[in-house]
Amino acid sequence: MKRALSALALAASLGAACGGEDAARRPPDAPRPAAADAGAAPDPLGPKPEPGEPAAYTPPVPVHYKRPGGTEVWLLERHALPIVSMQVVVPAGAAYDPEGKGGLALTTANMLDEGAGARGPLELSREIDRLGATLRTGAYADYGFAQLTVLKKNLTAAAALFGDVVSKPQLSAVEFKRVHDLWRNALRARQSEPDAVAGVVVARKVYPAGHPYAHPSDGTLASAAAVTLADVKKFYADRWRPDRAKLVVVGDVTRAELDAVLDQALASWKAPASPPPSESLGVPAPFVGRPAPASVRRVVVVDRADAPQSVIAVARPGVSAFDEESAVLTRVNAALGGSFTSRLNQNLREEHGWSYGARSRFSFTRMRGVFVAQAAVHTEHTGDALQAMLSEIGAMAKDGLTDDEVDKTKQLARADLVEAFETVQAAAARLGRSAGVGHGPDHEAAASHVAARADKAALKRYAAQYLDLDAATIVIVGPRAKIKPQLEAIGITAIESSGPEGQ
Amino acid sequence: MKRRRPPRLLAAALALGASLAAAPAPADVSIPFTRSTLPNGMTVILHENHDVPLVVVNVSYGVGSRFEAPGRTGFAHLFEHLMFMGTRRVPTKAFDAWMEGAGGWNNAWTSNDRTDYYDVGPPTSLDLLLWMEADRLRDLGPLMTLEKLDAQREVVRNERRQTSENTPYGKVELRLPELLYPVGHPYHHPVIGSHADLEAATVDDVKAFFAKHYDPANASLVVAGDFDPVRTRARVEQLFGAIPSRGAPADPGAPGFSDTKTTLTSVVRETIEDEVELEKIVMAWQSPRHFGPGDAELDLLSTALASGKASRLYKALVYEQKLAQSVEAEQESAELGSRFVVGVIARPGISLDRLEAALDKELEATKKTPMGDDELERAKNLVETGFVTRLESVRERASLLNMYQAETKDPGYAQKDLERYRAATKEGVRDVAAKVLDANARVILRVVPVKKGKAK
Repeated sequence: MKRALSALALAASLGAACGGEDAARRPPDAPRPAAADAGAAPDPLGPKPEPGEPAAYTPPVPVHYKRPGGTEVWLLERHALPIVSMQVVVPAGAAYDPEGKGGLALTTANMLDEGAGARGPLELSREIDRLGATLRTGAYADYGFAQLTVLKKNLTAAAALFGDVVSKPQLSAVEFKRVHDLWRNALRARQSEPDAVAGVVVARKVYPAGHPYAHPSDGTLASAAAVTLADVKKFYADRWRPDRAKLVVVGDVTRAELDAVLDQALASWKAPASPPPSESLGVPAPFVGRPAPASVRRVVVVDRADAPQSVIAVARPGVSAFDEESAVLTRVNAALGGSFTSRLNQNLREEHGWSYGARSRFSFTRMRGVFVAQAAVHTEHTGDALQAMLSEIGAMAKDGLTDDEVDKTKQLARADLVEAFETVQAAAARLGRSAGVGHGPDHEAAASHVAARADKAALKRYAAQYLDLDAATIVIVGPRAKIKPQLEAIGITAIESSGPEGQ
Repeated sequence: MKRRRPPRLLAAALALGASLAAAPAPADVSIPFTRSTLPNGMTVILHENHDVPLVVVNVSYGVGSRFEAPGRTGFAHLFEHLMFMGTRRVPTKAFDAWMEGAGGWNNAWTSNDRTDYYDVGPPTSLDLLLWMEADRLRDLGPLMTLEKLDAQREVVRNERRQTSENTPYGKVELRLPELLYPVGHPYHHPVIGSHADLEAATVDDVKAFFAKHYDPANASLVVAGDFDPVRTRARVEQLFGAIPSRGAPADPGAPGFSDTKTTLTSVVRETIEDEVELEKIVMAWQSPRHFGPGDAELDLLSTALASGKASRLYKALVYEQKLAQSVEAEQESAELGSRFVVGVIARPGISLDRLEAALDKELEATKKTPMGDDELERAKNLVETGFVTRLESVRERASLLNMYQAETKDPGYAQKDLERYRAATKEGVRDVAAKVLDANARVILRVVPVKKGKAK
């Protein structure tokens, strides 16, 4: 987050890049007028500059076309630097994990570069490094992906390796054993990471049992134990198909150059004769596309004895990326917990010093996702901080955004997009997200207009609809013995217990 | 210390026909800029580029945790937080509120050596960004109050709890500097400081620190991105040029210490208990300063040791011997001397003694035999691509210009920086490793799970 120590946690800074303060709602402390001491001599700095309206920004729309194997290509040319980034996305995310096999989608993606084509895992890694390329594979809730970034002069050679990874993974037993061991160790380690634990428990408690999003994409100790190499091979064969894939390419390459590269790199990626499996996400879960079930607020504590801070997550059902509200809610969220001057961060951090930072988000997923507000707070202020979070979210649900926030969030939504498309890697990942969730190539452009058009009344309506906390799920990871009396003091007496995997 | 992937940049903002790796011809890796000095001694660097509708203002001050007074560890970083607490013109909370209202955002970081503030916004916000930076440099210190100080003191203590105390292995960064450097060395304490020292800081400390270090002659301003250089230069001169200077404070350096001669005379061992599942070994050495002889070689060595599956340590300890869960290595470059750090997380049931012996064997090998030509080529190519990638972002280019200015007095040092890596040889890497990675002059820190049931 903000004002980071360079030695620590630097990479995260871009994440929270939008938001605003609200002078009308909470006037700044002791705002002495700027001119108070400037009566005698003119202020050498002159008056505060009033920035004009920035030029409108619409995210670029990639050209798109189908390749012979059925893969849809989205190409966004960028010729400023000799770099190309490409990302394949397939409907092979964690939501498609079979019951009891959580983590299969991610492990399948992780196995793709553990030997591919004629090369074993070390040779493959060596060759990627020799080309100065980076190759990542992974899976989110809705989609699996493989992303390559490389200097243009090495594009042909690197794309050949990328093609092997996507179309000819070896999926060998020896490598699977090793990957599987590392996976299970990582799940053990996850239990001592408070933020990760909060995320796992939130999903488990907010979604009904068996919902495709109820389990973490990296699975649980029990589900990992159940995943076999045969599962991986089947999942790969069923779901990593060229006729269901989209390939997003951003950078210093023309369509003609790209096609020549892909003709070679993806030559052996052929769709099987069998029809692809369903891409609908199975049983419609109880709250998908409908209001949250009437229920009571739940509070769940995961004990972390002696922890100096409690991680608090306040969660409830959110929206689907396909709902029009999704674009508009990014602005509601910017005012609530999506930027430094957001209400949650100002309250917990700047006014009370209980936390290094507080933030919130709506997830962006094919089915209805979640809203989560989260902060790590000094243990002795767990009750105070929770009450403040509930009160800030409640106030936003009741009254919506102030005029200042309406203006500010419009600017911040624009700013977020400019930077999301600044580098080829970021742009490929952002477009890959649209492709993976199932949007068209013009989604970001269209959504930017929807978000910019939303007026105060619309923002208030959506805030009321999606920030009501009557049926919220509150997860706290911290020392239970110290937290319990603080919760009781704010009227919370029904406290559930959970292990670090939500069990 | 500095950001994780230290300053190894390359490549230019504008189209460059970069023929990097394979060909021996050096790539053109310059970031175009102009530099001037205001009458009060402030450095001004402009980098104009209209690819993206963004402007970035980066202000670097030549002060970090190594300038802190005894009993005031963590103060430079605490001060960084206070720089956002307001003045007469910009009341408390308005700095962020006005910036975000204009569609911008900002952040800052503090290292041992420097404090760096940056603002990002649309081109229409540039005048406001400059005005607010000038305002706080001119007026912030004398207007400090206990209320402002107390507010950020609590935030910083929570930053310490979050990033060091409640994060697995986070306590290493609290302890390592104290073990690696002797009392009296300016790098002896962690940047975040101790709770006791943070609690002890006073308003007078803040005012004195501001008066001494936040001087235009100790500052360098970069404006980068989509702006008009003629108008902007005039505006910068108007806003910053009249801020009075007392002269840049003298840099005390590290008298009596040398970055080429370690102060360690034996193996310093310690074991930390932490809320972790898997045990870890961290080894650290004092190593040559940033841009000093051997610094680039050690950067390349760290890449060859731990970057990618085919790297030395990953291949031996994770892939083949299956002793380790993960490996990391880094030359953490800094102005007065760097540290070379290797970290290995053990698999369950593997004793740290056994893991340490296996790790030592790999490290000893790098000191005896030069790495293969292919290993060196891979490391160089990875480093070079990293530089090109960073050059895509206006914010990174602004940051790099100020880093080179601060550390080499030449914002355009990128080309020479790249040359350091290009010129490195496998024999050179071996020789530096043999000199620096002394098995009998290092810190070996172990992190083990807290013993359950132990009274606290």
